[in-house]
Amino acid sequence: MNKQRNKDYRQRIDQALATPKLQDALHKFGDAYLVSRGNAFANYDFEAMRSEISAMKTDVRENHAALLQQFISNAEAAGATVYLAKTAEDANNYIAELAKQKGAKLAVKSKSMASEETHLNVALEKAGTRALETDLGEWIIQLAGQRPSHMVMPAIHMFKEDVAELFSKQTGQQEKAEIKHLVEVARQQLRQGYLDAEIGITGANIAVAETGGIALVTNEGNARLASTLPKVHVVLVGIEKLVPTLEDATKVIRILPKNATGQPLTSYVTWIRGAVPCAGEEKELHIVLLDNGRSTLAESPHCQDALNCIRCGACANVCPVYQTVGGHVFGHIYIGAIGIILTAFYHGLENAAEIVRACIGCRSCVAICPSKIDLEEIILSLRETIGEEEGIGTGKDIVFRKVMRNRKLFHGLLRAASVMQKPVTRGERSIRHLPLFFSSLTEWRTLPAVADKPLRDLILQQPQKVAKPRYRVAFFGGCANDFLYPELGLDLVTVMNALDVEVYYPLEQNCCGVPALYSGDKETAIELAKQNIDAMLEGNPDFVLTTCPTCTMALQRDFVEHLKDNPAWAAKAEALAEITVDAAGFIVNQLGAAELFKELATAEKVTYHDSCHLKRGAGVWKEPRQLIETSGFELVEMDHADRCCGFGGSYSLTSHPDIAKMILKDKLNDIAESGASCVAMDCPGCMMQIRGGLEKQGSGVRAQHTIELLAEALKNQT
Amino acid sequence: MKKTTELKKSFVAAAQVVGAEVIDCKNLQEAVAYLAEQVDGPLLCPSFASGERAGLAEKLVAAGVTLVAEDFRQQAPHAKWGVTGVNFAMADTGSLALESTAEDIRLATTLPEIHFALLDPEKILADSLDAVEPMRQLHQRDPRNYIAYITGPSRTADIERVLTIGVHGPKQLHILLVPKLSSDPLEM
Ligand code: SF4
Ligand code: SF4
Repeated sequence: MNKQRNKDYRQRIDQALATPKLQDALHKFGDAYLVSRGNAFANYDFEAMRSEISAMKTDVRENHAALLQQFISNAEAAGATVYLAKTAEDANNYIAELAKQKGAKLAVKSKSMASEETHLNVALEKAGTRALETDLGEWIIQLAGQRPSHMVMPAIHMFKEDVAELFSKQTGQQEKAEIKHLVEVARQQLRQGYLDAEIGITGANIAVAETGGIALVTNEGNARLASTLPKVHVVLVGIEKLVPTLEDATKVIRILPKNATGQPLTSYVTWIRGAVPCAGEEKELHIVLLDNGRSTLAESPHCQDALNCIRCGACANVCPVYQTVGGHVFGHIYIGAIGIILTAFYHGLENAAEIVRACIGCRSCVAICPSKIDLEEIILSLRETIGEEEGIGTGKDIVFRKVMRNRKLFHGLLRAASVMQKPVTRGERSIRHLPLFFSSLTEWRTLPAVADKPLRDLILQQPQKVAKPRYRVAFFGGCANDFLYPELGLDLVTVMNALDVEVYYPLEQNCCGVPALYSGDKETAIELAKQNIDAMLEGNPDFVLTTCPTCTMALQRDFVEHLKDNPAWAAKAEALAEITVDAAGFIVNQLGAAELFKELATAEKVTYHDSCHLKRGAGVWKEPRQLIETSGFELVEMDHADRCCGFGGSYSLTSHPDIAKMILKDKLNDIAESGASCVAMDCPGCMMQIRGGLEKQGSGVRAQHTIELLAEALKNQT
Repeated sequence: MKKTTELKKSFVAAAQVVGAEVIDCKNLQEAVAYLAEQVDGPLLCPSFASGERAGLAEKLVAAGVTLVAEDFRQQAPHAKWGVTGVNFAMADTGSLALESTAEDIRLATTLPEIHFALLDPEKILADSLDAVEPMRQLHQRDPRNYIAYITGPSRTADIERVLTIGVHGPKQLHILLVPKLSSDPLEM
């Protein structure tokens, strides 16, 4: 790990966290965005639309060479000059050379992320051509000497007062901090630029192979001016923007603004093919097709889907980490989830090394992506690559490789910890303060103590009275359930027994491997997958039940993924995935037994927190709500119920506790505002985070697993 | 007929939501009267097929409007008003499609503060997917194209995400619905 780089990064985080105004703006934007987006898609089937886009873009990737050739010949036939730039430098040199040839003093630009990617403005400046950004946000950023903090709204981190100050310097008079006025100032100031510029530079949202034309999706009208007034038009476009036909282009345009900002359509969609008339002559049109790492990305089996991105920026809009620290921390040139990936390929792994760990893995981005890219999975695989390149840190290395892979040693150490922690727990179930340099860990939440006796010991002592079991299920506890919250496991047995299901606990089961995987140690994760597959399949259970959705994802998805190319294991992994199900889903979907709990509970206001991996991984969110309501609790929804709580395992403990703390704060506010006296959830990780936060606040609200609430209700049965 | 009425209704609603003014005219004469009332200086009036056929320029002059009909590069930066036809429209988003390869059309729709667009309601299509067909035909007919989909006036939300109308393009878009102007989506 590079120390200086890490230090700079930490400093950027601190700076961002010290700007509550920024967080406030990004949170408000996130909320407003979801509302307008909902309206924009009201009459559309988003899932169907994004499946189409994803299939089309995948097709493009697979037939890229032929489509690119088709685009180039059509564009050339229409009078365009096409240049294929291998690197950012090639693209810049070509454009700068052209500017020199034309003796251009001024180039007007409309918004282009590709030109940010290549740092084109710097190259033009060196060639003696001033580059003038005309997109309002880009111009603000240019005047401030910064880089965009969002791909669609580059100046989202700035406020009208900042803009007024920048504009005042520009006009030489005091401009008032009133948005309408500032927009007018920009109009006046930039108008002459279009008329004076020798060159207009735009990006392109789409390149259509069928026609050899490009499409620009914009709101301000500057791209129309920049592509009309100057005699030379340069289009800088990434080679992944290619689509086969006008239908495909239309489908991208239909989904892009809706998903970007919740706008049904932007003010302008501009379709340009070839050298069109210009001042009585022909316009000189240059299309610079930018590769710069895209071909390499296409070759990467784990990451290539990222090329399907249509740059809507939504993955940032909904990201709790982005909302907390903004795009200057959570990005490089490209920002948010996609930014992490593109940075690694376009700007080098080195520039992505820090931010690749800043993702908490909540999968909000995956759910909103119009190209259906599994961004979180790609980020994980990059983390693994970086883990291999830079190491994952010696401490972690020893824990994962030497300790976790050896179940007896790992569990032995946990048992020892249960004894050693006595001085800090003082016999209580949670740790409120830790001494010395661990103290920051319990500053903003308590931590659960390691239980006196783990679930694996207790469960054997709990008698099960199931006369005629409907099913015999194996219980995969996961570390938290086993060693921190054994009572949850016992409650599961109670609940299952009441439903005529017999539960057993395979003792050879080990950690699910996700902590190792998230830290970039895939080897350990694979070793643990094998141990667990053997352990869980051994007793031939009807189902394998989980109470932790992260474990569920591991058993249902990750094990299969890790072992799919291993003939000795692939089928076994599939078999385990097939029968693994989370407890709430099992009761509702497999047993159809929600009614058993009908009106058993004492009426209490309960709000529900969706765990990221349960809702967006396993697709379970209705089931626990149904159980809570049926059993007689009064369910009140909190705002942002499915927003991450900020746990993320080692994310909140070691890698990014400062960000995790802010995300938790948001969650606690939403819980408090719901007016509930209990918050339910289906994940021991979320319990640890939310319960710890509530305890530290001295809040009266209790945090319970849905299964605990059901067990509680059952006690009222007799 | 019924279909046209429904499409017109949803087009008008969508166009108004995005801030366009929609004026339902009985005939071209009414549209001319509206323009004469609104325009108070030189109006950019580039040539387009349906306008030529209907004698739009003559009618405007007769109504007392001063027209700019040539030398657009010089005149357009100072003109406040521009008028054009429309190739076709899309009801779901309230959008207009303008085949703007002729430079004068572009200058008349990008530089002025106010853009008037004359649309025959018969040319309202349901949505952008229905528009692919005429788009393809336009691409097949002409070797080069500059086609604009225009939805409301120019806008930005780049400062504090507050929607503000009229940055670089027109601040106002007036759509004049004029029957019997042209039913051909391939002509403006
Ligand atoms: S998984 Fe969550 S934290 Fe990670 S990039 Fe996506 S939205 Fe952000
Ligand atoms: S990755 Fe998906 S959500 Fe993110 S910008 Fe690209 S298309 Fe949009």
